[in-house]
Amino acid sequence: MAITIEEKTSALHPLATTALAVVPVFLVGAVLFALLGTDPLEAYRVMVVGAFGSWFDFSEVLVKAIPLMLTGLSVAVAARMLLWNIGAEGQLVFGGIFAAGTALFWAPHMPPALVIPALVAAGFAGGALWALVPAVLKARWNVNEIITTLMFNYVAIIFMEHLYFGPWRDPMGMGFPGTAMFKQVAWLPRFFQTRIHLGLFIALAAAALLYFALKYTPWGYRVRVIGLSDRAARYAGFAFGRQQVMVMLLSGGLAGLAGMGEVCGIHMRLQQGLAVGYGYDGIIIAFLARLNPAAVPVAAVLLAGLIVGGEQLQTATHLPASISLVLEGALLLAILGASFFNRYRLRRTRSR
Amino acid sequence: MKKVLSVMATALLLVTFCGGMAAAKDFQVGFVYVSPIGDAGWSWAHDQGRKALDKMPGVKTSFVESVPEGQDAERVILNMARKGYRIIFATSYGYMDPMLKVAKKFPKTVFMHCSGFKTAKNMGNYFGRMYQARFLTGMVAGAMTKSNIIGYVAAFPIPEVIRGINAFALGVQSVNPKAQVRVVWTKTWYDPATEKEAAKSLLDVGADVLTQHQDSPATQEAAQEKGAYSIGYNSDMSKFAPKAHLVAAVWNWSPFYRYIVEQVEKGTWKAKAYWWGIDKGIVNISPMGPMVPQAVKDKVLAAKKDLISGKLKVFAGPVADQKGDTKIADGKVASDKELLGMTWFVKGVVGSTQ
Amino acid sequence: MDDLIFILAITLKSSIPVLLASLGEIITERSGILNLGVEGMMLVGALAGFVVGQQSGSLLLGFGGAMAAGMLLALVHAFFCIHLRASQVISGLAVTILATGLSSFLGRPFIGRVGIHLGSLPVGPLAEVPLVGPVLAQQNWLCLAALALVPLTAWALAGSWPGLSIRAVGEDPEAADAAGVPVAPIRYACTLFGGLLAGLGGAYLSLVYTPGWKEGMTGGQGWIAIAMVIFATWRPGRALLGALLFGGLTALQFYFQATGAELVPAWILRLLPYLLTVGILFLVTVLKRTRFGAAPAALGQPFFRG
Repeated sequence: MAITIEEKTSALHPLATTALAVVPVFLVGAVLFALLGTDPLEAYRVMVVGAFGSWFDFSEVLVKAIPLMLTGLSVAVAARMLLWNIGAEGQLVFGGIFAAGTALFWAPHMPPALVIPALVAAGFAGGALWALVPAVLKARWNVNEIITTLMFNYVAIIFMEHLYFGPWRDPMGMGFPGTAMFKQVAWLPRFFQTRIHLGLFIALAAAALLYFALKYTPWGYRVRVIGLSDRAARYAGFAFGRQQVMVMLLSGGLAGLAGMGEVCGIHMRLQQGLAVGYGYDGIIIAFLARLNPAAVPVAAVLLAGLIVGGEQLQTATHLPASISLVLEGALLLAILGASFFNRYRLRRTRSR
Repeated sequence: MKKVLSVMATALLLVTFCGGMAAAKDFQVGFVYVSPIGDAGWSWAHDQGRKALDKMPGVKTSFVESVPEGQDAERVILNMARKGYRIIFATSYGYMDPMLKVAKKFPKTVFMHCSGFKTAKNMGNYFGRMYQARFLTGMVAGAMTKSNIIGYVAAFPIPEVIRGINAFALGVQSVNPKAQVRVVWTKTWYDPATEKEAAKSLLDVGADVLTQHQDSPATQEAAQEKGAYSIGYNSDMSKFAPKAHLVAAVWNWSPFYRYIVEQVEKGTWKAKAYWWGIDKGIVNISPMGPMVPQAVKDKVLAAKKDLISGKLKVFAGPVADQKGDTKIADGKVASDKELLGMTWFVKGVVGSTQ
Repeated sequence: MDDLIFILAITLKSSIPVLLASLGEIITERSGILNLGVEGMMLVGALAGFVVGQQSGSLLLGFGGAMAAGMLLALVHAFFCIHLRASQVISGLAVTILATGLSSFLGRPFIGRVGIHLGSLPVGPLAEVPLVGPVLAQQNWLCLAALALVPLTAWALAGSWPGLSIRAVGEDPEAADAAGVPVAPIRYACTLFGGLLAGLGGAYLSLVYTPGWKEGMTGGQGWIAIAMVIFATWRPGRALLGALLFGGLTALQFYFQATGAELVPAWILRLLPYLLTVGILFLVTVLKRTRFGAAPAALGQPFFRG
């Protein structure tokens, strides 16, 4: 007797498996809560109500989801071409640095109407620039982008720290790290009396644009072909390297926009608290969304809800913050498992 | 199945109901921490203060740990305000601007920010004069060093840390003018392996007493392994390095937090800068280890008495910076504003403030 | 000269966790499995090592517990990568996230407890030997074991038959399978070995270098270990060199500060290891198929019989 693995002919929609995978994670979480002496139902109630219970709570989840959407799109678009961009974190930081530089040094001398477009452009350019070197190294010499982008994260963060501890430190800031606060023209507009800022609409527009571009444009077609198999793409005669560089720049630019949104929409200055792992979260979101740009915002809201709900749980019950991490890790593994059983089935056979 | 569901629903309702009841009755106090509570560090010290509040009748406390100083801080503070918390304490510098924004929206809530400098109608700031305790521990270090090199493992070059280093160096010089204080920046508040490596490099250039402005006891352990002495920070760290630990500069937030809660309950709280000193016990030094000679102990305790009575001031002129330029003139005492924005090292400190 | 010895001694002692984890990762990657769960395995190893050591009072049991914990996580990763054919990047990340959360969560009651720890080697008269003596006197037997592992793994990979099978599986699993090499069992074994060494590296922190359990005490060393594998071009000897260089630059940065002679600004020294890694990776990739090594050809790709 042996077990063989066979490909299934019919399968659920990949997003449906994602939804199904939530069930075992809830059970794992329930066991953990019970072990800690907290009523699991009550814990989940606090988390869900805390994240989605009111318009205000939900607006905060959306605020949290803005950078996550953009880094998620960043990772997803690169992955569509079989590129692993682990460097969204560093690209986010560089987008933030460029936006901050623009806001600090150029915005005061600019026609006010041009400031916001200039910030958006600067954020995108900063992120794209930070992806340029890994992109060229990959396209021209096939240098492993997982490692180069990972290393560039550290470099970007150290460089940013140098800026706000050193030359960019606010001279009026009582010696604390961080640049001066930007002039009000360089603040991204906010909406609905919440903290939701322009970044949300940029992220949603980017998701929609990418979705349609991938599906209906010649460029999208090329990306999809390369994503299926790089050999096929070479046969088809696509300028393979140039496509890779373009996609990496786009990917970096999207992450850069996330940094711009945080710096100009939330902090209004460059300071500590920018590089808090959104780039790495982006990998998870891209995966949850199955690299589908239209699903990225949903996945980002889900993860943001988990984080915000986790905070609410802590406030209510004194449980450690790490519980959200445990649930996040378990969720990823559950989805990996679920997608296997969606694609394949096990069959008992006589051994040879 | 139906039965189970109905039981669950009833339970849910009950829980909600009780939760609502508790919130209406209790005086709720929230704390926001930047790091995990951990074992002996900054957030741990604040959490000890929080636990003291829990013992007060009618007071109920909550906290959220590991809140980054980015967009999350504003949300966490806001959520506490919305739930009707009476007082919210935010215990990291980077929470200042987020807290200020929330304070404007919730005029009835009392906001207290630690280690910054801004206030509003319903927002005060607070800190402890840790530099006084640092001065005293500096005296111990100055008396115990033989190599006249004292190592200081420090996190980030910000005024709070620089002030502590300066006070420590002045304490060292008050008993041993020849000794110098060498500073190594780790650029992290908490990373045991990195802190240890920094500590070792100081030991290797000849430091025989180490102290730290870090959240892990790695510096203490490094000193003990090398047979050197160490001075703790945040809390009494003697259990981590019993042979090396001379003394520690410690926080004791309980009296302050109790005082603020009482003031708010009585309606006499004021939105101002609370900067308590060693006289009120918010900062202190731990008991000195058996290796410290009695004469040194007596001298340090006498100085402590003078600091408490106000006879002794740590930053009293003349004080010169590293280049020898006078920063605090003879007969003058540095103002609180100067102390809050301190970005220069006193003479006798080796290291850069960048 | 003395200063140099000091820096060398510090560097050697602080580089051991990265060295152990990267040796394990080399073996894992050589078999074709990319393991991004190293950071999580080190953390869980650190916690397990401390807890078992403290409860049992035995260092050996502590290290054993750490290795078992690392292997347990590696088993999860291996199962997802090999049997469930999952994305190795996502599976590794998931393991790290899960392990970070679990270690902080389960470790809470052990925070601040004083446990046991491994002391330095009793070198006796050897301490008088110039250069070697003072360096050795600061090390411990686990350091020596880790150093001994370097030639051992190098030899195993280069010459022995298990090494040949590992490389065959990592380079061309189809061909290896056709030749009767058991692909899946070898990949399992290599991933477990990687988890074992990562766990041991974690325990080095909690039982030797910075004794005690502290949340997040690895501080990203697992990620450095993964980069070190590339830096080393999948060769154990070069992993030692890389770990020493990486640790050395950190030590040098603190040393400059401590002596007050900042020849190079500290922030530039902090950047260097990361830039060097990228530079070396570039050289290695460009010069591949000459004298340098290249990545295992089947790295990151699942294998299944068609």
